[in-house]
Amino acid sequence: MSVELLGVIVLGLGYFTLLLGAGLAVERGLIPVRVTRHPLVYTLALGLYASAWAIYGSVELAAEAGFGYLAYYLGAAGVFLLAPVLLVPVQRITRTYQLASLADLFAFRFRSRWVGSLVTLLSLVAVLPLLGIQVKTLSEATFHLTHSRYSEVATFVFCAFVTLGAILFGARHRHQQRHDTLLSVIALESLIKLTALLALGAIALWGVFSGPQDLQQWLDGPGAAAQAATPKLDPAQWRTLLLLFFAAALLMPHLFQLTFAENLSRHTLLQASWTLPLFLLLMALPIPLIWWAAQAQHGEISITAYAAFLLSTNPWVGALAFLAGLAAASGTMMVMAIALSGMVLNHVVLVARPPEARSNLYGWLLWLRRALMVGVVAGGWLFAEGVSRHHSLTDLGLAAFVGIAQCLPGMLALLYWPGANRNGMVAGLVGGTLVWLWGLWLPLLLATPLPRLPFLDMMPVDAPSWYTTTLISLSVNIVLLIVMSLFTRTSGGEHSAAEACSVDAVIRSKRLPLEAATAGDFTQHLAGALGDEAAGREVTRALKALNLTLDERRPYALRRLRDRIQANLSGLMGPSVARDIVDRYLPYRHDETSGTDDIHFVESRLEAYRSRLTGLARELDGLRRHHRQTLAHLPVGLCVLGDDGEITLWNQALAELSGIPGDSVVGSRRDSLPAPWPALLAGVLEAPHTPLYKQPARLHGRDCFLTLQQATLSGLDSRGGSVILVEDHTEMKWLEEELVHAARLASIGQLAAGVAHEIGNPITGISSLAQNLRFDTSDPALLETADHIQQLTQRVTRIVNALVGFAHGGRQALPAPTEAVALKAIGDDALHLIHLARSGEDVGFLNASPGHVVVKGDAQRLTQVMVNLLGNARDACKAGGKVIIEAGEQGGYAWWRVTDDGEGIAPSVKDHLFEPFTTTKPPGEGTGLGLSVAYQIINEHQGRIECASPPSGRSRGTAITLWLPLYPQDDRPLHGQDTDC
Amino acid sequence: MYVYRLVLFLVFGGYLLSPVLMDGWGEPGTVWYRPFVIWGGLIALTLWLEQKRKLDER
Repeated sequence: MSVELLGVIVLGLGYFTLLLGAGLAVERGLIPVRVTRHPLVYTLALGLYASAWAIYGSVELAAEAGFGYLAYYLGAAGVFLLAPVLLVPVQRITRTYQLASLADLFAFRFRSRWVGSLVTLLSLVAVLPLLGIQVKTLSEATFHLTHSRYSEVATFVFCAFVTLGAILFGARHRHQQRHDTLLSVIALESLIKLTALLALGAIALWGVFSGPQDLQQWLDGPGAAAQAATPKLDPAQWRTLLLLFFAAALLMPHLFQLTFAENLSRHTLLQASWTLPLFLLLMALPIPLIWWAAQAQHGEISITAYAAFLLSTNPWVGALAFLAGLAAASGTMMVMAIALSGMVLNHVVLVARPPEARSNLYGWLLWLRRALMVGVVAGGWLFAEGVSRHHSLTDLGLAAFVGIAQCLPGMLALLYWPGANRNGMVAGLVGGTLVWLWGLWLPLLLATPLPRLPFLDMMPVDAPSWYTTTLISLSVNIVLLIVMSLFTRTSGGEHSAAEACSVDAVIRSKRLPLEAATAGDFTQHLAGALGDEAAGREVTRALKALNLTLDERRPYALRRLRDRIQANLSGLMGPSVARDIVDRYLPYRHDETSGTDDIHFVESRLEAYRSRLTGLARELDGLRRHHRQTLAHLPVGLCVLGDDGEITLWNQALAELSGIPGDSVVGSRRDSLPAPWPALLAGVLEAPHTPLYKQPARLHGRDCFLTLQQATLSGLDSRGGSVILVEDHTEMKWLEEELVHAARLASIGQLAAGVAHEIGNPITGISSLAQNLRFDTSDPALLETADHIQQLTQRVTRIVNALVGFAHGGRQALPAPTEAVALKAIGDDALHLIHLARSGEDVGFLNASPGHVVVKGDAQRLTQVMVNLLGNARDACKAGGKVIIEAGEQGGYAWWRVTDDGEGIAPSVKDHLFEPFTTTKPPGEGTGLGLSVAYQIINEHQGRIECASPPSGRSRGTAITLWLPLYPQDDRPLHGQDTDC
Repeated sequence: MYVYRLVLFLVFGGYLLSPVLMDGWGEPGTVWYRPFVIWGGLIALTLWLEQKRKLDER
């Protein structure tokens, strides 16, 4: 089988054009987001694990170890089967703190830039053989297909396109963003290699054999000897292989990038726990088929890795094998270049040369990253040209996997052992790495054998070097990690980072004030490190993420803003540099009391993770929520303050009372609250154990009276602070005033009863004298005067009786009114009496009541009502004013209205108009009893009294309307037709 | 933490016993696709656990 080199180059370029086209389609939105962000796309992208080693190296391993090749797939499947306990916690940490690589994660956990740099250098050295495998397989596959001596030129061209792809899909934009395009392109690459490999498997099963039965017959018959001759893996070696591939799937830089940095969804990751093993199953299935088919056709095969090219003489079969390898190799190299460039930039370049205030920080970082991508691919190509060609794929792959496995003890300690510290991590990593370099990596470079490793004598004599090196290096690594961690000091920063990273994370953030007073100050402070443009952009980005504004002043919000900026910078420059920048330019203030636990932050974290709590933790969280709800829905205003004056709770009742939503004040200082709250809270805090009763305050435009009580939170488990209860006693204050007023009225009533009794005797005397006068004279003028004296004394008597009745609780001794009373006549009588007062003569009176309106009542008392109403109307009018009496019938009642065009009644008086002693007149001019008495009389008539001020349709004046029951239209005499009766 | 202990115990136990499984795969007379059937069963079990978790979280 020989194909022209040009044809292979065209095939390769066609493949790269397809990737580029797919990438552009995703970037320009031609492919819907629901497709590009589908969990299946993520799973296919994770298929990146199956590099060119999976296409060719697996066949080689299957030839050497039979089903032992499955370790490569089962190790990776194990990682994802354990996603809930292994990957999800790592994802939580990387997402929370914006950690994009393994080096970021280690530098964050162990609070050491050296750890980050060390992990980066180890990763770089460890993946070189793997990069070499990709280049080597491309070159050798091209050669197998073309038998051309220029196959290396084609490989170089492919490497150039891989670099271009890495830059286009991973470092095209100045600002970091989620790489949907990269994910989609890698998913497409995985789909191509899976399809090609399944097609090769199908060709082997149905093209070379005649189906599964035929294959089984071959395995049991002619092929049995060959299978029996295949060496079996020693159980210990099998376990070690499983461990190595497990570590590789978890820790390889390119896989870490895709698993955690490019995926933000926990759900997607959990779904991959079964979809990726399924993908790997489909990838693993054709491998033995290809090997058995090649064996069945050719017997002994010298270069087992490329057995797929021997399946058929048809050039398209070779093209399929080549395409599968090209897709696998290009994807691996592309993402590896992206991941390693980020790691080297953040943990080597920026650590050695921290960014200063640059005008074009983002552009500088972007170009650095692109250069590093070129460097990574070039390094892989050089390694392949200089080293890889002399070694088998298995040797190269295992050298890489054992190297990266040196990070496994550190990773497990990161998740499950908070006691591990940076000294242990560095010692273990250095020790294990040195053993690995000595045992596996340097032998790849050097032709001469190196001195034997220590402890090698304890290993089986025929054990392969990868196995012995793995055991010794990991043992050294683990022992050093444990011993150094146990016997050296762990810093406070490491403790807090360990808590944040631990699977059982209990994050107890401290409440410290910041130097920056507002969110706006952050830009100014950060500009010293990032330059104005980058500082402004980072602050705006963090504010947007937290839904805050530049005016934000709450200490809690500012602390979260600081954390968010640090996390964002960590994604840009790595956690070490980000932490240095934030610590230096956005420092905490240490001039106050030592920081207390940030309960609000802890609560918000618990709320976010609530659905993931199980067992006792869930029960306890349920209890916490119950108590929280109890406080939040307490029908009394409740506010909890920390020792530093920061508000940690502001319940619903207080939010309604104050008009300040809890969300806007929790986390702020009490002195930043709007008036009158700072003064009120300060008042109650300054007087412990002494409630502040009925403090006046103006809330919602009305005067309120608040009672505040305070208790200090103290005790062994207390985090300090104070709890303040705020009760609205406005209603109670009003009721108290009413009570006092009522008591005053009662006293006055009793006084009035006494006075009435004293007045009653002289009035009786006056009435008797007037009666006598009528018999002593015939002078009409004197007789009329005597009549008037008698009417007035009767009126005084009724007032006195009313006062007595009022003083006796409203009980009237007068008989129930039953007379027929014509309202017009009563009005005339009242007007007559008003005129006798000889005041208000400049006010015009008009009785417009019709004569037919007759009510059931007591003429005398109704006259008294009308006199009172007319008197008030007259007093309200200015000179030239007019008072009109009107009447009418409506629904069994008569309405009787006195309307004036006077000043009207103030709203504050209107509410108490019919209460005794309510008057607007100057002292000495009114008793305040007129309308009260009128109200009482009308009430006795089973009527009602209404007041409109101003009357509808008029701009001023007052209308008092009386509603009285109509008298039945049968027998009369009507009072008023004979007023002398 | 007890949940994780159980999981870690099972994982470590499976890891130690996996060579026994591997020996069974290569025995003469066994069907060639046997390892893949076992693997498929493991995937089905994980799928079931994942569905159960989704229901629990609803």
